Amino acid sequence: MNRLPAPFGSRIDRSRPIRFSFEGKPFEGYAGDSMASALAASGQWVLSRSFKYHRPRGILSMTGADANALVQLPSDPNVAAERTPISEGLRVSAQNVNGSLEHDRDAVMDRFGRFLPVGFYYRTFMGPRRDSWLKFWEPIIRRKAGLGLVDTKAPHRHFDKTHLHCDVLVVGAGPAGLSAAIAAAEAGADVVLCDENPEIGGALTYGRYDPAILSGLSSKLEALPNLKVLTGTVCNGWYEDNWLPLIQGDRLHRTRAREVILATGAIEQPAVFRNNDLPGIMLGGAAQRLIRHYGVRPGQSAVVLAANDDGYRTALDLLDAGLSVVELVDPRPAGVAGSLEAELRGKGVAIRNGATVEAAEGTAGNRHLARVRVGGSWTACDLLAVSIGSAPAWQLPCQAGGKVGYDAGMQTMTITLPQGSVHLAGAVAGADDLEDAIASGRRAAANALSRLGHAVAVESPVTPKTIRPRYVQPIVADPKGRDFVDFDEDLQVKDLQNATKEGYREIELVKRFTTVGMGPSQGRHSALATARIVAEATGRTVGEIGITTARPPVGPETLGVLAGHHEVLERRTALHARHVALNAAMKPVGAWWRPYYYGDASSAGEAVREEILAVREGVGLLDVSTLGKLEIRGPDAGEFLDRLYTMAHANQPVGRVRYCLMLNEMGSVVDDGVAYRMAQDQFYVTATTGAVARVYADMLFWNAEWRLKVDVLNLTGAFSGLNVTGPKARQVLGALESDIDFSRDAFPYLSGRDGMVAGVPVRVMRIGFTGELSYELHCPSSLAPSLWDAVMAAGRPHGLRPYGLEASRILRLEKGHILIGQDTDAITTPDELGFGWAVSKKKPFFVGKRSIEMRARLGQTRKLVGLNFPAGTRNIPGESCLVLRGGAPVGQTTSVGYSPSLGRHIALAYVHVDDQAEGSRVTVKCRNGELIEAPVVAHAFFDPTNARQEI
Amino acid sequence: MAAGTATRIYPFMPGGAADGIKLVSGAVVLSDLTASPRFGLKGCGSAAWLAAQGIPLPAVNRIGKHHGMQVLRLGNEDILLLAEGVGETLAEVKTAWHAATAPKGYSSWREEGWAWLRLSGPRLAEAMNGLCALDLRPEKFGPDDIAQTRVGHIEAVTFRSPAGFDILFDITASAYFARSVAAVATHIDQHNA
Repeated sequence: MNRLPAPFGSRIDRSRPIRFSFEGKPFEGYAGDSMASALAASGQWVLSRSFKYHRPRGILSMTGADANALVQLPSDPNVAAERTPISEGLRVSAQNVNGSLEHDRDAVMDRFGRFLPVGFYYRTFMGPRRDSWLKFWEPIIRRKAGLGLVDTKAPHRHFDKTHLHCDVLVVGAGPAGLSAAIAAAEAGADVVLCDENPEIGGALTYGRYDPAILSGLSSKLEALPNLKVLTGTVCNGWYEDNWLPLIQGDRLHRTRAREVILATGAIEQPAVFRNNDLPGIMLGGAAQRLIRHYGVRPGQSAVVLAANDDGYRTALDLLDAGLSVVELVDPRPAGVAGSLEAELRGKGVAIRNGATVEAAEGTAGNRHLARVRVGGSWTACDLLAVSIGSAPAWQLPCQAGGKVGYDAGMQTMTITLPQGSVHLAGAVAGADDLEDAIASGRRAAANALSRLGHAVAVESPVTPKTIRPRYVQPIVADPKGRDFVDFDEDLQVKDLQNATKEGYREIELVKRFTTVGMGPSQGRHSALATARIVAEATGRTVGEIGITTARPPVGPETLGVLAGHHEVLERRTALHARHVALNAAMKPVGAWWRPYYYGDASSAGEAVREEILAVREGVGLLDVSTLGKLEIRGPDAGEFLDRLYTMAHANQPVGRVRYCLMLNEMGSVVDDGVAYRMAQDQFYVTATTGAVARVYADMLFWNAEWRLKVDVLNLTGAFSGLNVTGPKARQVLGALESDIDFSRDAFPYLSGRDGMVAGVPVRVMRIGFTGELSYELHCPSSLAPSLWDAVMAAGRPHGLRPYGLEASRILRLEKGHILIGQDTDAITTPDELGFGWAVSKKKPFFVGKRSIEMRARLGQTRKLVGLNFPAGTRNIPGESCLVLRGGAPVGQTTSVGYSPSLGRHIALAYVHVDDQAEGSRVTVKCRNGELIEAPVVAHAFFDPTNARQEI
Repeated sequence: MAAGTATRIYPFMPGGAADGIKLVSGAVVLSDLTASPRFGLKGCGSAAWLAAQGIPLPAVNRIGKHHGMQVLRLGNEDILLLAEGVGETLAEVKTAWHAATAPKGYSSWREEGWAWLRLSGPRLAEAMNGLCALDLRPEKFGPDDIAQTRVGHIEAVTFRSPAGFDILFDITASAYFARSVAAVATHIDQHNA
């Protein structure tokens, strides 16, 4: 066991042991352990195999930033073992192995490196045939190079989205972020502070700092109720207008901040030398995190490569953790490290200046670090901690418009943001000394506060305490290679140099040719080294080379987080409970629930047939509440409808109902309904269920455009509709208490009345979709159940049956009535429907008029007609089957159904314009490919003279 | 179009469209005010007629008060009177309106077209954050403000009430809305567990 005693291990709870497995072997850790720390505590350092050469890999940064420590969970691929906590019974396995992690058959790839030079796939896999890539190479490579496996049977998880608004969002709760958040909150701003780690503090939690600093900041934080702290929360992008997704586990906070302070810190950079990827070689910060966060001893015998103070502090930490520090190697000349150097020497650690680690060697199969070569001689060790420099965490700042530069004097990568609502603080802004970082946080807060209108003293710019240039490692390709620049993609120094020799001199091209920076780390550990290598190879400066574009997301995010939770939208008519009580088969139609038929599923066909017959021979009742209902009110209401619809409405008498047909500006039919003129200044207009939202929006648009004296009101939910239809409809309504005279002469076809029926105020229209005598009763929705009950009771002696959508569909098909959207498409004109009668020739303007005139001049090619399938026809085409003429498609069937009234199948179909005459025979291609002939009939299959609806 | 003797049934009542759908209670509480009296006028002449009755009209998207009623100005000519507990006062306005001659605006039928639900409870702010994208912090959205926005992914009008937020939305989506709020409440419970 590599476990250290308390107080090491701030994140773990030693009283709660947790058992889990890795690669089928049982392991034990503590609550709070990450998978990587628990495995390291048990001596399991190899976590994965590398992408190309299948080399053993382990902990590099303990930040979960790279592919080295990605593992597979049963239902979750590519999980960062360094950051993800263990849980009881968790089954963890390694990714990208052929065989097992311990014995990977593809480890042999490491020997064939020279046959796999960078960019080799662009050449090798292009042939020999045109489809070789898709058919042959890609499947092989997918199998070989796959990372995690997707579990298509993964159990459902709950994800959740919420919105968060604040004055100041601070990203990163390290010393700079803490000081910025505290300063902003103390001034009264509404502040959110987020950090991806489970606790606040950043480097203060694992670095060699006085614990009083963090506890002081923490107690200030707790005293501020207007400061909301979100730990375990990743800020995964910056979008326009300071919109930032904060991901806290399975919850997405869609955050809008007036000011944003990015205190995202710095990313420690690895050193480049032969075999720099061996497990046991890790960044100084990783060793410190293992010790302080998890109480895990990162090795027994350490060499430290240090080119800054953090490296010296790491060495002191290693001593405190009981490791033997064999040697500290500092490439810089003696004397620059100051007091830390003396402290280390005082503890008996040998310090070698002006030298560096030139290479490393591993144990058998490169499973762990065995020794490092410094100044030509080998030193045995099982840990190499590397602290040679860092790069600012540029991802979020760059998304927010920051530009990456390079300060050649200081040898540092820099980020400059335009003046605005995004501010940088701390190490990301170059202030990596603790006091500098805290001051820089305060300054960023002051800038943000002054932009928010707070009166604050402007803080003077931070003058960094460390003003000498940073160390830069000279990167020279090792003759034997395996000096990795990008661990995710197994790219070595020579790979990048070769890319420049191929002529790929620009960083974006180098990236695409070599795939550098394309892996999970997205260049966090490779971008700076790559820029230096390309600069060196092309004789330019690092600033001229730059880095590739940073785009959201900053890190991987699950699709579940993006999807969130959605209840399925449903709309119910006021009669919903009535239908359910009558055992209706309710089906969703768009968002609406509608009765499909009334009765048991076992006798559905029978129920539909009986419902149809009830309407044809007795009386039926249909809930038409889903119809769009619009009220057009105002002195110009008639003029408004005249401009919107194809028929004339301005001259429509009060009390009359007129069909209305709507075109779009290209002359295509988009909606139909009826308009009932209730008063000189008031129309009640219906629209189709599916189109009303758009029709209403269009009406508002045109009303704003035309500036007529009109108000448009959408009454779709406010009013319900009941269609009482069938030869006995008048008897049923006559039996109800009402002030409306329903007799034929007093209430003729295509007229409307308002009044009271059964104590309910109604608007009644004599129209109908079924072709039978038909009254549509519309009333305020809260009274619809009462009206329904009254009609049902009055209809009982007459055999009234409620009928559903399927019966309605057949009833209208028997009459050849079209459904907009079902029997029309995006280019259907009124002429193609035979609706010339519904288009006014006298009106100077209506929407689509000019277009249908122009399209008429192009000539008509198709016509919607009825098709008859004689009883006994074996093969009936489905909807959308092709209509052929001379073997070529000229149209399609749009509605097909069996008519019990006629005892045969009927259909509506677009046929060639020359085949529209009754009796023409057209060819339809059935679903199984069989061609059948069917005769054309006039639109109405049933009661072609429309006598029944006008009785 | 005054109602006669027939019984009114609103969605969450027995026999209503959302009958059987529970309104959540606990950390988040949803209550139904759909049956409470309200009356709206919309279209040319509405504002002038109401003003002539002595009802002071606030600016658009603001709420005024009149004899215990809330006066919601949804648009220049779109005004909604809410009369929770003061139905008689509203009834007088309605009677006067029905008797009046045009121009007097037109009924906007909000008492039929919109459900009226009230969201409250100890986790109110968190629930509203889950349901609505707007910045509804007290300093940004006061008791006299109206937001015409989306709540629970559907179009809605929302404003503060002493107990929480009132939400007016398409009455046909009542069951959906109650389910959406329940889902948000469940997420809040899980998140704070």
